[in-house]
Amino acid sequence: MTQPLLEIRGLNVAFNTERGQIRPVRDVSFSVFPGQTVALVGESGCGKSVTALSVLRLIPQPPGQFLGGQILFAGRDLLPLDERDMRSVRGRDIAMIFQEPMTSLNPVFTIGEQIAEAVLLHQKVSPREAYDLAEKSLRDVGIADARRRLSEYPHQMSGGMRQRVMIAMALSCRPKLLIADEPTTALDVTIQAQILELLRKLQNETGMAILLITHDLGVVAENADVVNVMYASRIVESASVEDLFDRPQHPYTEGLFRSVPKLNAPDGRLATIPGQVPNPAKFPTGCKFHPRCPRTRELATRSEPAKTIDVPVGGGDRARVMRVCVEDEPLLRGVLPAHGAACHFAENYDRAPEMLPMLDHRRQVVAGAIEGAAPRGIKLEEAIKTGR
Amino acid sequence: MTATDTVSPDNSLLASAEAHVPAVEEDLPPPQRFWTKVWRDTFHEARAKVGAVWIAVLIVFAVFGPVIANSHPLAMKSGGHWSSPMLRYLTPVDVILPIFTLAAAIVLFFTRWSGGVKVAALAGILAVVSALAFVLVHPPPAVVYEQWRDLARAGKIESAVHAPVPYSANDRLRDQPEKRLTGPSREHWLGTEANGADVLSRLIHASRIALSIGLISTGIAVVIGVVVGGLMGYFVGKVDMLGMRLIEIFEAIPTLFLMITIVAFFGRNLYLLMAIIGLTTWTGDARFIRAEFLTLRNQDFVQAAKAAGLPLHSILFRHMLPNGIAPVLISASFGVASAILYESTLSFLGLGLVDEPSWGQMLNQALGVGGAFVWWIAVFPGLAIFLTVFAYNLVGEALRDALDPKLGH
Repeated sequence: MTQPLLEIRGLNVAFNTERGQIRPVRDVSFSVFPGQTVALVGESGCGKSVTALSVLRLIPQPPGQFLGGQILFAGRDLLPLDERDMRSVRGRDIAMIFQEPMTSLNPVFTIGEQIAEAVLLHQKVSPREAYDLAEKSLRDVGIADARRRLSEYPHQMSGGMRQRVMIAMALSCRPKLLIADEPTTALDVTIQAQILELLRKLQNETGMAILLITHDLGVVAENADVVNVMYASRIVESASVEDLFDRPQHPYTEGLFRSVPKLNAPDGRLATIPGQVPNPAKFPTGCKFHPRCPRTRELATRSEPAKTIDVPVGGGDRARVMRVCVEDEPLLRGVLPAHGAACHFAENYDRAPEMLPMLDHRRQVVAGAIEGAAPRGIKLEEAIKTGR
Repeated sequence: MTATDTVSPDNSLLASAEAHVPAVEEDLPPPQRFWTKVWRDTFHEARAKVGAVWIAVLIVFAVFGPVIANSHPLAMKSGGHWSSPMLRYLTPVDVILPIFTLAAAIVLFFTRWSGGVKVAALAGILAVVSALAFVLVHPPPAVVYEQWRDLARAGKIESAVHAPVPYSANDRLRDQPEKRLTGPSREHWLGTEANGADVLSRLIHASRIALSIGLISTGIAVVIGVVVGGLMGYFVGKVDMLGMRLIEIFEAIPTLFLMITIVAFFGRNLYLLMAIIGLTTWTGDARFIRAEFLTLRNQDFVQAAKAAGLPLHSILFRHMLPNGIAPVLISASFGVASAILYESTLSFLGLGLVDEPSWGQMLNQALGVGGAFVWWIAVFPGLAIFLTVFAYNLVGEALRDALDPKLGH
């Protein structure tokens, strides 16, 4: 078995605020193997971005604080490193691209200066060579007329172009791991498809691993090998992309899939998950999903009253749920082979062993062919061909 | 050139673009430094040119003052041979300034060295020239300005070349007491003051103090303000709290009283005044930079710079500072003006420099004996102060616009 490139074990991050401590990341473990694309999926505020920033140790400290855990990159723990060693990891071994391409480039420098600066920092080259490398990396991300673009300012470019520049900058030093924090959220759909395809192409060429942070299941379906679903600062489900889309085990994951629009679905309202993402300052007890969970409510109607309990579920409403969901927080267990879920009522949960999500798995299916994937799965060319 | 053998539309587009590249590649500018471009864009604008022209005039006055306004003839023929009293009476500073200015112009505009090398070269030149000048230049200790006019009246000077303004700043016209406090005339274009010295000559020689006190004290203030404010805004928390208390302490010190105390203890020293003004006026700059950095530190491009592994000094001073310096540049252009006014205030209170003329000191003299108002002593130094402040503001505004790449080009 190959060594994971990135292995996160029991990561806990806390923020000490004036109103007490909040825990945006709790006991998060997962791994990324070389050449693999691992998706971290969840709603806003579930802790996925904090997890990503933790890998580069970009959490401001204070108020941020690491409460134990390990972040092993190529076998070396990043958390105890001093700032100087950490800087040599950032950009060179692990690069990151951000959600907002409009503001992620420094407005007062030209594209060339910004890429060349990163190159000069991590590679022993002359400024002239750095500009040549910058030009090459712009070509690699499919920017025509790269030489002229080098002397342009970010505001002279479109959002998609800037995201390409961000990718070019991130990849100019050939990192082993690319963290992409919602790389396509701010872009329009056709550009999204181009950027994702570009990332896939570059991954094939360079063999880098990608940690893909997103809330877009279409993006996950097309790109990820392994998916970790986060809810309320924990990983609640972890599986290969095929397994997850075919056999979601956690009610939250099921809810996510129901809320994706489908082309062939009958007319009607789009399903949503009722309720709100809980505020990390006042998480519910037990399973953090129980106030919104349809499974526990459904089971409660069929169970004997002693096993159920009436709880407030937000917005002044109350609901009858299973007692164990309120009293005990479920852990991630391997309910199916190589498929973890953290739900008391997932199949086999009681008998399943605890599981660390370490799946060295590569996707088998062609992009867009996964059942339940978002309509984005339709490729641009096909759309043009079929005249849509 | 990297050959691409895939046939996606992107690449064919790229290939056709590359076919035209060689012609373009010739006139592509070499990687341009940010500040080079800012400098060029700033002085591309008409208003900045106007401001720069006046500042350039002041620099010429400051550097070539002894040639422009001097009681000593630039050259004269006496007893059959030529001599240059002007050269003989030059002070070390008079010698240092033109040589250093010439060297600085060559280094700044005619070399292709990097910024750091240029600064080092300038510092080295300044040190060497100063050392040599103070060792080698010894003007006569006592200066008698009337001697040349006496000689001329006695007919002992056969021919002489005089400066355009043939009066030194401190030439009290002891031989012509009737010229004291006279208005503008053909001989004294801007009139004379109560002691008989020529106002125009004093104005010209005072530009040296005006330029240096404004630039150096503001420079000190901006450097301290940017460093302290930048650290406060970037690190927040305890650093910010301590910095804020430091700012409050410095703001609680009344600058004027401090300066009066310093002058009383250490005597009248121009460099000390510059330092005091700089050390007490940085708080505003620090507040500006702090406020800018507080918003900048959360910007995505700062996060991206951190994620790229850039060191702290690069994030602070290369990436954040150009985005947050604009308010400080504007405030600095006013700071130059207020430093000139501080010096004027001290001079007005009689605590300024004694031997050397300054604009503020001249304004003070506009209040003539017995409270009479002497308009030509008030208007011309006042105009000089106004124009200088105005010129710095014009350049400051153009600089602010040049720092914002979204404003066109």
